[in-house]
Amino acid sequence: MILLILQTTGIVTLIAGVLAIILVIAERYLADYGECTIDINGKKKEIVKGGSSLLSSLNEKKIYLASACGGRGSCGFCKCKVLSGGGPLLPTEKPFLTAAEIADNVRLSCQVKVKEDIKIEIPEDIFNIRKFKAVVEKIVDYTYDIKELTLRINEPDTISFKAGQYIQLHSKKYAKVKHSVSRAYSISSNPENPQIVQVIIRKVTEGICTTWVHEHISEGEEIEFTGPFGDFFIQDTDADMLFIAGGSGKAPIKSMVEYLDQKKSNRRMVYFFGARAVKDLYLTEYFHEFENTLADFTYVPVLSQPDESDNWQGRQGYITKYLAEFVKDCANTEAYLCGSPAMINAMVKGLHACGIKEENIYYDSF
Amino acid sequence: MKQTPQEKIIQNRMKSGNLTLEGFLGNDKRHYHEIINEDLMLLNSFGITKEQVAEKLQQITDLAFEDFEGIADKEPGISVEYISIRGRVISPFNVQKPAHKGVIHYHDNNKDIHFCWTPLNIKMIRDYGFFEGKGSKNRLEPALIYKAFFSK
Repeated sequence: MILLILQTTGIVTLIAGVLAIILVIAERYLADYGECTIDINGKKKEIVKGGSSLLSSLNEKKIYLASACGGRGSCGFCKCKVLSGGGPLLPTEKPFLTAAEIADNVRLSCQVKVKEDIKIEIPEDIFNIRKFKAVVEKIVDYTYDIKELTLRINEPDTISFKAGQYIQLHSKKYAKVKHSVSRAYSISSNPENPQIVQVIIRKVTEGICTTWVHEHISEGEEIEFTGPFGDFFIQDTDADMLFIAGGSGKAPIKSMVEYLDQKKSNRRMVYFFGARAVKDLYLTEYFHEFENTLADFTYVPVLSQPDESDNWQGRQGYITKYLAEFVKDCANTEAYLCGSPAMINAMVKGLHACGIKEENIYYDSF
Repeated sequence: MKQTPQEKIIQNRMKSGNLTLEGFLGNDKRHYHEIINEDLMLLNSFGITKEQVAEKLQQITDLAFEDFEGIADKEPGISVEYISIRGRVISPFNVQKPAHKGVIHYHDNNKDIHFCWTPLNIKMIRDYGFFEGKGSKNRLEPALIYKAFFSK
């Protein structure tokens, strides 16, 4: 009986092995799509070996679309227009696309296989996106759950970005996490220092990348990131500026204020930072210092639920309560927001009530 | 248990370290189909549906979302707080758009019930009847939900 089971198992294994070899050979010789051309925006042509996804084919040519899942079709970030040659829309793409996007030929590049010449459209600023290698130069604990990483870029040696943009950090495997993930973090450093990128990262329960940053990264380690991404940046006007942030949302605002300080901007600026209690505040003195260096800058920390032991003498409650006190000219004020979805939702309503126009409210909706 | 390739992918995504650090199964050794079936049978015995549960959770979530800086008082003795977090998390079922990260804390001092859920919990319950495996950090016990929202 045992011999029979062993014989059967052996035969099944042998058949499975032969089938696997046939599949590999078939993939290698029969499914050889040869060289294919990717026509980008009608301006640039890249020759790639057919058979891979559009996302990875573009990556090979150092053209990086945003992707948080590494091409597994689960984040829906890597959208681009495929004008021809992309094959039919797949069921795996549909949940991530709106009807308008489908009508406009938008596809998930990780799901589109390059099997023939293909024409695509991507925003021009994507050509500025690169994959970088950097060394973790410094790790600073700002609060019990927020750290700032300073990354010195090794390869390529500089980065060009606008204050307010973000990078995607690629985590490494650790403990039971068997694959890398990519997560978006706003740059907190001044773009005038192109050898350095800083990011402020709050630890999220269950977060694969934030746990890696908070518990597994050490100074001197080499890591990789891609960027810059995003269209959240300072508008080139003379309007008054209202910054509102909470938690790690301080990152892009720090980048913006440092940049404006270096440029000796004369624009009127008010920065509200919302936190729950004193233990959640950080860089307070640092931002008050800009009140001395910038022409017209005010930093206003507001606590929503300070502990009694905090002995908090500053503003308390909702930030929206204090908007009218600081906004002088609603029609000529731009608001820059960074924080959680609930915070953005509440602030946008408060800003509307204060008379600030929708088109003058800017935020990154992560 | 026989599985389609897609089901194998889903089961694998539910393991720790794939989509989230601790995964969706906890220390539950059952296949996700079995978890769903048993929880739905339990809901059925209470006379409620997964859609009713999801709707209730969504109503409370929306209430808490609108009051992000504080604790919303739903009724006397009942409070709810939304800890909103930047970023999104994807469903292991991979047919929904990513859900916002966040945790909603529910406190009913009248019934002495305290538990929490995430926006992703609501999607997975509504669409699949998946309450997560036993021992999972975000597992919602159908019996507790019944006691909190549907019993007198």
